[in-house]
Amino acid sequence: MEKREIFPFTAIVGQEQMKLALILNVINPALSGVLIRGEKGTAKSTAVRALAEILPKIEVISQCPFRLPASETGEICKKCVVEDCVPETRMDAIKVIELPVGATEDRVVGTMDLEHALKKGEKRVDPGILAAAHRGILYVDEVNLLDDHVVDVLLDSAAMGVNTIEREGVSFFHPARFTLVGTMNPEEGELRPQLLDRFGLCVSIQGSHDPEERVAVMERRAEFDDDPKAFCQRWQEESRALSNKIELAISLYPKVTIERPLLFEIASFCLDVGVDGHRGDIIILKTAKTLAAYHGRTEVTSQDVEHAAELALPHRIRRKPLQEVASDVSALRNQNRKSNLK
Amino acid sequence: MFHSKIFPFSAIVGQENLKLCLILNAINPGIGGVLIRGEKGTAKSTTVRGLADILPLPSSLVNLPLNATEDRVTGGMDFNRAIKEGKKVLLPGVLAEAHQGILYVDEINLLDDHIVDIILDAAASGMNRVEREGISFCHPASFMLVGTMNPEEGDLRPQLLDRFGLCVEVVSEKDPELRVVLMEERERYDRDPDQYRAVHGKENQKLAEKIKQAGLLLPRVKISKQSRAFIAELCSANNVAGHRCDIVLEQAAKAHAALLGQTEVTLDDIGIVAEFTLFHRKRDAAPPPPPEPPQPDKDQAETDQQDNEQKEDPGQTEQENPGQPDREEPDQEGADKDSRETEQPDKGEDNSQEAGEDKNRRDPEQVFEIGASFQVKKISSPKDRKMRRGSGRRSRSRVSQKQGRYVKSSMKRINNDVALDATLRAAAPFQAARDIPEGLTVCLKPEDIREKIREKRMGNFLVFLVDASGSMGARGRMAASKGAILSLLLDAYQKRDRVAMVSFRKSEAWVNLPPTSSIELAASYLKEMPVGGRTPLSAGLEKTHQLVNNALNRDPGTRPIVLIITDGKSNVAMGENRPVDEALMFASKMGEDDRVKYIVVDTESQGIVTFGLAPKLAVAIGADCCKIDDLKAEALVGLARASA
Repeated sequence: MEKREIFPFTAIVGQEQMKLALILNVINPALSGVLIRGEKGTAKSTAVRALAEILPKIEVISQCPFRLPASETGEICKKCVVEDCVPETRMDAIKVIELPVGATEDRVVGTMDLEHALKKGEKRVDPGILAAAHRGILYVDEVNLLDDHVVDVLLDSAAMGVNTIEREGVSFFHPARFTLVGTMNPEEGELRPQLLDRFGLCVSIQGSHDPEERVAVMERRAEFDDDPKAFCQRWQEESRALSNKIELAISLYPKVTIERPLLFEIASFCLDVGVDGHRGDIIILKTAKTLAAYHGRTEVTSQDVEHAAELALPHRIRRKPLQEVASDVSALRNQNRKSNLK
Repeated sequence: MFHSKIFPFSAIVGQENLKLCLILNAINPGIGGVLIRGEKGTAKSTTVRGLADILPLPSSLVNLPLNATEDRVTGGMDFNRAIKEGKKVLLPGVLAEAHQGILYVDEINLLDDHIVDIILDAAASGMNRVEREGISFCHPASFMLVGTMNPEEGDLRPQLLDRFGLCVEVVSEKDPELRVVLMEERERYDRDPDQYRAVHGKENQKLAEKIKQAGLLLPRVKISKQSRAFIAELCSANNVAGHRCDIVLEQAAKAHAALLGQTEVTLDDIGIVAEFTLFHRKRDAAPPPPPEPPQPDKDQAETDQQDNEQKEDPGQTEQENPGQPDREEPDQEGADKDSRETEQPDKGEDNSQEAGEDKNRRDPEQVFEIGASFQVKKISSPKDRKMRRGSGRRSRSRVSQKQGRYVKSSMKRINNDVALDATLRAAAPFQAARDIPEGLTVCLKPEDIREKIREKRMGNFLVFLVDASGSMGARGRMAASKGAILSLLLDAYQKRDRVAMVSFRKSEAWVNLPPTSSIELAASYLKEMPVGGRTPLSAGLEKTHQLVNNALNRDPGTRPIVLIITDGKSNVAMGENRPVDEALMFASKMGEDDRVKYIVVDTESQGIVTFGLAPKLAVAIGADCCKIDDLKAEALVGLARASA
């Protein structure tokens, strides 16, 4: 079968915040994902699917259903369904796993193999989507329309980094650490605060209002539809450049430092706008460091911090259950500061 | 489990109360667990896992996932052994695993009620009794129960709250210095978890030793009569129910004394732990008062001025201005209007039309603020036999998914949700005639398979039919109604309902809000809903009927609950009949459809002269009729129960 071409990530016009948020997550999986809020037809899904092209490679054990690295073996391997696992590793690209909105809980956490149970008298679990997503990107389109109990499962796994199954006489767990990427249209209902909080970053996007940009969007799309292969080839250079930049940033990240006054800046930012808990602080810090690495620096600047706050806080600002998600973080901060001074 | 991934307990910054509560429980399991209430991202899970890591427990932390099924919680028949060896053996569940360890339930308020019951029962008695699937079994299950919850997502029932020994509220640190330290520690940990753990290993050990010593000292800790009297006084001063609080408080105080190396409980010990035992148990002096306006009299005098202020400040919400619903909106005019209107329903159409138009001119549209909100009592639709898919937590329903409680089995194959007990029973008569496969003792064929029928709670489809006519503006009715609707919306959020809103005024009805799960959207429409004009009740009913029918056509499993918020004074008809008669006729037609549940909320204020039109409407449509006050959770008799 011929491989279907995917619209290249670098060829997406505009939507810089969204692209940046995705790239930052690729560089640093500890950012734990991004929520993309926006209207229909704003290249949300295109961008996430295109991400696969620029993802770096990771080391995995060849036969492992959980794509574990050689360093992460232990308890889980004792119960593994693969018999006689050879600890042979290969380099494999990070995967983007899609979670369909209609997915049943079974598909997500793992299903029992009924036939096997009847024939052999043993209950066995076939790992589900969460297992496949370990060390990868879990993409949920229309995350706000997800069934509530599937959301609970996602939360559990995202919180613990482990998927625990205690159902129907089966007790089973496996690691499930993934970067959660969700898209949603806020008009269709809001996400529960806990799930919101699990997304490291949040960007709101809308269609461009610049006629020139809109024309560029149409042109590129037409070009792609005409001859996907040639189009992708044309953008190959840029894709490679971005991949290189990402790899450089990954190697640079451990060396990035931040000065203490900037940490205070982060803390005061969070206090000014009012966020629940400390996850906001930690994510801003990590995002700022990742930004610095992405820009090829080893020192975090105050611009990095501000930019990071704009990405990490919109969905964390404390609100009553019926209030809407904040749009402009910096403006809100200034406003709150002024009112505090009064 | 994944040991290297646990953040060391001693390195956690702040959250002293939480740490203390956990340590006290570790010293004295008799305290009965900790409920952690609070914001997201406040190291709740990290702290609990950190503690489990340092305790010398026989079994460590057992995590109960939210989607756990009952058979895995209590234990159930062991499938493998039943089929291979032909033996009825219990496969121990989570409760057995947690024995002498910690059972940790994240978001316990989202767990199915019946599972919470089982867990608390076991926690209280130290035993787990299994009576299911033909197995009768009992095993010790003493564990430390730790639950977390975020109150925004709905509260636990008071009975369940009471079962938790201690309750601690966690908030994030407000001191920037501490926040910075926290970030630094976290970064250090992330850079090299193993080394970080090694660095803090010593402190962890010290703490573990301290807990162990305190545990040994505990049996020798004495409590004086005087201290007991103090505890009793504290508890009765806070109007706690029952005596559990006293007992827990004593146990906790003893643990605290032991932690400090004392052999005698001091008043300080009691004072420190009292906060955590009383937090979730203290009640206001009975009976529970309504959300009382702090200065009702002054409030009324300042009505107008305050009104303006409030309009300027949209951020202000319900709790902060509780005075509103009681307030008499432009009092004089309101009473005036009311008296004028009272004549209308009985007058001929011509007259009323004139009067209405006249009023429209004099009384332009207004937008009323949202009145005080309150805890809504239980509203649910009656049970039926239909299978549904979905989630939520309002009405019980059979479900076609592997969720909820196993109530019976069926031959219908839907989703491979095997009911082992029923399957074995079905296969039993044929065993003699079948060839039993090697290695097994039972031969199961696909036709033996029985599946579970399950039951769980699900969200409903709530339709608000709101009377936005001029008469609703009188006597603060609209503010109170909006308050009630907002309360119902908050309730709908927690129960995961879908909502829609229809309003009627002047001569038409509108669908303000098409069916959506976005409660935010509903709230913002509610806020802007204008009031004014006459009362085309029949048009409103008709629109609602359409909306509900569309929803039912699209998904026959939908269970709509229609809340009609009106005073019932219909004065605009769609056809030739008198408006009131027409509305009643519509209503009785709509009432014939028993898939829809109606509730009429009568907004007419009680007085000497009432028209009682809303109750008539309720009778016609086959609904419960209630006043706004009846919707409050404190009202005694459940609406749904009364109707059942």
